[in-house]
Amino acid sequence: MTDMSQKSLMARIFCRGPWETAATAFIGAGVIMLMQPFALALYTWSFLTTLTGVVMFVIVSKFPE
Amino acid sequence: MTGSHIPDALANRLATATPPKLAARVRGLSDKAIAWLFITPTMILLLAINIFPLIWTIRLSFTNFRANRTNAVVKGIGLDNYTSILTDPDIWAAMQSTAHFVFWTITLQTLIGFTLAYLLDRKFRGHGFWTTIILIPMMLSPAVVGNFWRFLYQPQIGLFNYIISFFTGVDPSSFEMIGSVTLAPWSIIIVDTWMWTPYVMLICLAGLRSIPDYIYEAAEVDRASTWRQFWSITIPMALPFIMLAVLFRGIENFKMFDMVNLLTSGGPGSTTEVASITLKREAFEKWRTGFSSAFAIILFVTVFGLANIYVKALNQVKSR
Amino acid sequence: MSARSSTAHSVVEPSSTSKLVASVLVVVYALVTMIPLFWIVVTSLKSPPDSISYPPKIVFTPTIEGYCNLFTNQTRQTPEFLATLPPATTACEKVTRERNMVIVGPSNFTKRFFNSLVIAFGSTALSVFLGTIAAYGFSRFKVPLKDDLLFFILSTRMMPPIAVAIPIYLMYRELGLSDTKIGMILLYTAVNVSLAVWLLKGFIDEIPREYEEAAMIDGYTRLQAFRKVVLPQATTGIVATAIFCMIFAWNEYAFAVLLTSGDAQPAPPFIPTIIGEGGMDWPAVGAGTSLFLIPILVFTILLRKHLLRGITFGAVRK
Repeated sequence: MTDMSQKSLMARIFCRGPWETAATAFIGAGVIMLMQPFALALYTWSFLTTLTGVVMFVIVSKFPE
Repeated sequence: MTGSHIPDALANRLATATPPKLAARVRGLSDKAIAWLFITPTMILLLAINIFPLIWTIRLSFTNFRANRTNAVVKGIGLDNYTSILTDPDIWAAMQSTAHFVFWTITLQTLIGFTLAYLLDRKFRGHGFWTTIILIPMMLSPAVVGNFWRFLYQPQIGLFNYIISFFTGVDPSSFEMIGSVTLAPWSIIIVDTWMWTPYVMLICLAGLRSIPDYIYEAAEVDRASTWRQFWSITIPMALPFIMLAVLFRGIENFKMFDMVNLLTSGGPGSTTEVASITLKREAFEKWRTGFSSAFAIILFVTVFGLANIYVKALNQVKSR
Repeated sequence: MSARSSTAHSVVEPSSTSKLVASVLVVVYALVTMIPLFWIVVTSLKSPPDSISYPPKIVFTPTIEGYCNLFTNQTRQTPEFLATLPPATTACEKVTRERNMVIVGPSNFTKRFFNSLVIAFGSTALSVFLGTIAAYGFSRFKVPLKDDLLFFILSTRMMPPIAVAIPIYLMYRELGLSDTKIGMILLYTAVNVSLAVWLLKGFIDEIPREYEEAAMIDGYTRLQAFRKVVLPQATTGIVATAIFCMIFAWNEYAFAVLLTSGDAQPAPPFIPTIIGEGGMDWPAVGAGTSLFLIPILVFTILLRKHLLRGITFGAVRK
């Protein structure tokens, strides 16, 4: 019984869906930050945000469905 | 052993009789060897022409190398190129020009493209013929066509100005599409919309046609109004396709170079200087190779990120 | 998608009024969108003064001057000198003589057009060949990291050309490949092969495996089965893919303008540089543009059934 719940916990943590959504959000945010006309600081940090998203996406794609 | 054409019936009969481990018993090269033999050439080509240069770019992006001064000492300057790009207000301005271009082209193309698809889905007589006609602009060379639009946009003699003045009464020599700071960004948006609306239309049309009839029939039975059917069936069901088109056009226009380079080449001033034009100026006019390599990497990572999302959208559509 | 058209009088069949409105709007859009193309062809048949007259002339006497200027180099001569020449024999000579000009030789356009042909055909042949075998490999065999490799292949096509052009420029300079047709063919093949693999994988996936397996029972080896069973079945797909690759290579501009300057330069970077006496020679530009676009028009019509597939990397099949 405990074994079952642990397995589902692991599966829940390393499930691809939500992580992929998070990575997509990072990439989207990075792109918007790169091109927004409001704050130079956002533009400065855009690349790191996008890069984080991309790295995340690549890692997450190895997680089970 | 009759040759290339095996009748379906025979094929099916043989297939059911085929033992599952057939592949292992085949003479000649093993399947594994063939798989690698077939895939490797493509991989080698892509490694040589895409990945190796990419790695080179990454290396250059940490240096002050200039391609027109090969004898100068190349120094590693760490992340300096990246920090100077990411704090440069001019390059930030170029990104904003790109944003303006991408935002408006996508908005216009999606609105017009979807409307056209919706109309073509009425299946009136000759809709196939007119679809083909509408599709023509997107197959043409953006460079050659962009160059010709320069003629259409001429202030005195251009057909575009003439048509605008014919319908609005404005003096055709009173405005310049390419030469004026306010209109130049719109001149490239118009040409891009003219060229690529068919692309969005074609994908939207596929989306509309993927909606099964019975859903509409059920809605009809429930007496849902056409308006309601449109918003609660047509739009949601076609949305994955629309997203696919939007993402791809977004990526393509984010890196837009050819049409803009020929139409305005970034001018007047830097009003239409989209990211790729800035990159070209830095790399091939100012010859700041290290600096432009860093910029190229920034653009590349952004496109790569969007490509990831695009493939996700692609798989979503594929599973339909 | 065929379900809807099969029920002629179903409840969802659009009414005839909505059909009429739709057809009118679509036809209007199609005609408006054709104006620039129509104008290109019309301009190519005008004389230079006609092409820049105001208001734009729809009615004019057509002339082949634009095409003559496109294909030949000319110099201005005095009428006295022209009188000493033997009478003009070709139509082009007649037209140029009327403007006190003589033809001094062919222009570079033919060479650039030929370069375009060589590069387009060369890269298409190579990318379709590589694409077909790679697609078969991906379609039929268990390849480790298959999805990653496929994504990698697709992502190479998404790269911004200018970003790739910097290192390619340096690499080609080292290897002596800059401004050579071979260099351009390799480059375009690298860009096109990604599309070829994705499209052809879709087409080959649709051919039932049972065909090859049946052939192999008959004593074919895997390679023979590929050649004699799969290839004939995939012909349509291969042709469609080839046309897509051809169109890309034919239309490409960014790499061409940055990596070629003379010998290997294809037509797209050349056409904008056509300049006549005192400014752009628009009829000649129109002529070059028309000639350049005609093959694409033909291809578009041939390809219309597979267009959707091509622009979505094979994901959406009609």
